[in-house]
Amino acid sequence: MRIEDSEQAEEAVSLAQQAEWQDITPIEQDEGEGSMCPIAYTDEYRELMGYLRAVMAVGEVSERALALTARVIEENPGHYTVWVYRKRLVEELESDIAKELDWVSEISSKFPKNYQLWHHRESLVTRLWAPSNAQSVSEDQRVTNPVLRRELQFLGAAIDEDSKNFHAWSYRQWLISTYALWTQELVFVDTMINQDVRNNSAWNQRYFAILANRDPSAVHLEADMAKSEIEYVVEHIKLAPNNDSPWSYVTGLLLRHAPSMLYTDLLPRIKQLAADNAYQAAMTLTPFYWSALLDIYEQQAADHPDTKKQLVEESRAICDQLASETDIIHCRYWNFRKTSLDTC
Amino acid sequence: MSYLFSYDYRYDDNAYDTETSNKQVDVEDSIGQIYVKYVEPGTAQYGGIFDDTMLRLHRTKHEQFVRDAMHGLSSGFAVLDASQPWLSFWSLNSLDIMGRTIDSTTRTQALQTVQRFQDQRGGFCGGQGQLPHLAGTYASVMALVLVGGDDAFASINRERMYEWLMTMKREDGAFAVHEGGEVDVRGVYCVLVVASLLNIMTAELVSGVAEFVARCQTCEGGLGPYPGVEAHGGYTLCGLAALEIIGSTHVLDLKRLARWMSARQMAFEGGFSGRTNKLVDGCYSYWVGGAFSILQRALSRTPQDDMLYERRALQRYVLACCQDMRIGGLRDKPGKSADLYHTMYGLLGLSLAQHYVGVDPQTRITDMTSVYSVPARMMQWDVVTSAADVVGVSSNVVKPVHPVYGVSLVPLAKCIKYFYALPPLAPSL
Repeated sequence: MRIEDSEQAEEAVSLAQQAEWQDITPIEQDEGEGSMCPIAYTDEYRELMGYLRAVMAVGEVSERALALTARVIEENPGHYTVWVYRKRLVEELESDIAKELDWVSEISSKFPKNYQLWHHRESLVTRLWAPSNAQSVSEDQRVTNPVLRRELQFLGAAIDEDSKNFHAWSYRQWLISTYALWTQELVFVDTMINQDVRNNSAWNQRYFAILANRDPSAVHLEADMAKSEIEYVVEHIKLAPNNDSPWSYVTGLLLRHAPSMLYTDLLPRIKQLAADNAYQAAMTLTPFYWSALLDIYEQQAADHPDTKKQLVEESRAICDQLASETDIIHCRYWNFRKTSLDTC
Repeated sequence: MSYLFSYDYRYDDNAYDTETSNKQVDVEDSIGQIYVKYVEPGTAQYGGIFDDTMLRLHRTKHEQFVRDAMHGLSSGFAVLDASQPWLSFWSLNSLDIMGRTIDSTTRTQALQTVQRFQDQRGGFCGGQGQLPHLAGTYASVMALVLVGGDDAFASINRERMYEWLMTMKREDGAFAVHEGGEVDVRGVYCVLVVASLLNIMTAELVSGVAEFVARCQTCEGGLGPYPGVEAHGGYTLCGLAALEIIGSTHVLDLKRLARWMSARQMAFEGGFSGRTNKLVDGCYSYWVGGAFSILQRALSRTPQDDMLYERRALQRYVLACCQDMRIGGLRDKPGKSADLYHTMYGLLGLSLAQHYVGVDPQTRITDMTSVYSVPARMMQWDVVTSAADVVGVSSNVVKPVHPVYGVSLVPLAKCIKYFYALPPLAPSL
């Protein structure tokens, strides 16, 4: 019988009535009278937890303990302690890790927003294929390795289910950095952005993929890469100018890694777009265009003090317009921006 | 210029819809249906004046919701079995913010309950027989702050706590949230709050913290849980508050942060979203609202400068859209059910928008880097009553809270007074 089958058969029978569990006494919670926020546990949950506490207290390493952790996790996947215990059991029992991953994948569909599931995956994957071993083969070979291929598939499905699943994207960053899967990541990011140009998780991932593990504080983006990113962003702005993500992405990227290109390259492209009949109305109405101009002018003024007076004047006018017409909800921020101009 | 209600503020999808914009439009539809009841018919399109007198905080209902929860929770709450300290903290804090008394029976109950979560090896666990966890520790300590009294404070084993916190410390300056657990800026926040309150701050404990938090700032300007991960309201508050505790908010690009934070306020709804192109949610009233209060300090702004967000619009969102009139308590948004978490964070956000809790830049204490200046720095925060702005009926006013610690000022002061009368842990520091 596989573990799962025997589990199902046993689920109906309480542990206390099972021969296998006679040797150990469950440890009850101290629920003294007048506990605050007491939870009315089901008998089943209460019993599972009683036995869990008992096996953990003696540090038991056994198949029955492993099966018990699975049942507890299915009742309460947020129980971080049982995950730590399970991880240890899987290691010490030398369980089949691929099967363990199967089981984790099964559970995940029920609990997409659970953190511990993803964290458990991390430890399993690194055991299945040590990152140091992965380094010795090419990225193409790494991507097709069954372990990683499976993870990428799993991630693809999770992100398909919820395109902004924070845990999924976060785990994805771990996987991509640990196994250096940078090239394929840019492709994936592009697919996700094209699926929904407003998916900010995808745009954040683009920054992550472009930097490819370089230390952000030390990167100077190559000119041709910066230019191609600008083109990429402009193409996606065209789809819907009133979309924060591409604007934040490109201004953030350039501010950090190629600041002069804000005004040498980005500025002419967006001005061109704003002058284009097809986009003029939308560009004029979106606060993100004007906000980008402010960021650009600020950098330009800092780099070329001779242009400062003119740029500050233009910026003040933009701030006023944003505060009074284009982006009223954020007027206090725009007024702050305006006063900051005088001091920058 | 006062902010009106108008359909003009609705999201413009440029006639190109995607899943994101469709969801946003749906939420705006439901919010619009609520808001339109507060403006004069026919004025909504062009800028209707909100009738704030219709906005009332239904304290009694929320108090009942919380007290019922304190009395007992259904079996479905087994999914929070590893978050038990939070249940107590959310409850106690919600009552306290609403100005409700925590009588001696409740106090004893809370004290006994939370004490059972303390681990012999240090820290507090999510429940009995569980591993100590930074979040459970944070919630337990904050619950004890609200319980108050020497017996509550004395029940915390400071020495064991410090030892345990140091075992959670990682090389990069951050902390794992439990043995074998995840490392993120939330852990950093929990450690610094607890250590600063219990007077167990050391240079060793906080080393590398500022650098780690700085690396969590993304190109958008907000902070994520870990370097590289998407900027998010909850982690932004955690990072910013942690830096404020150690007087290091300057390590961030505050200008870029301010820009991202400002964009969190939704033009139509008035409430905050947690990430770019995501939906409004009542809990961000604290995560983002609190961050604004701390940002105010970081930018050396005065009460005359006012906050960088629309306080009234935020209050309207909480009062008009987040109160669950069916079961009591506060919620994420219309259509969602109230829960203790959203109740507490909604009330915290309301408080921070009603009151101006800040630090007068003139009275800054000079030594900001010593870990021992922590209590002085934290206690400089005070209410500037002239800058209060309570939306709706005047009885809507709730207690002012400290943006960093998320609890009201009096219990916080008592806690700090108690622990800083004790000797620090390591005399050599």
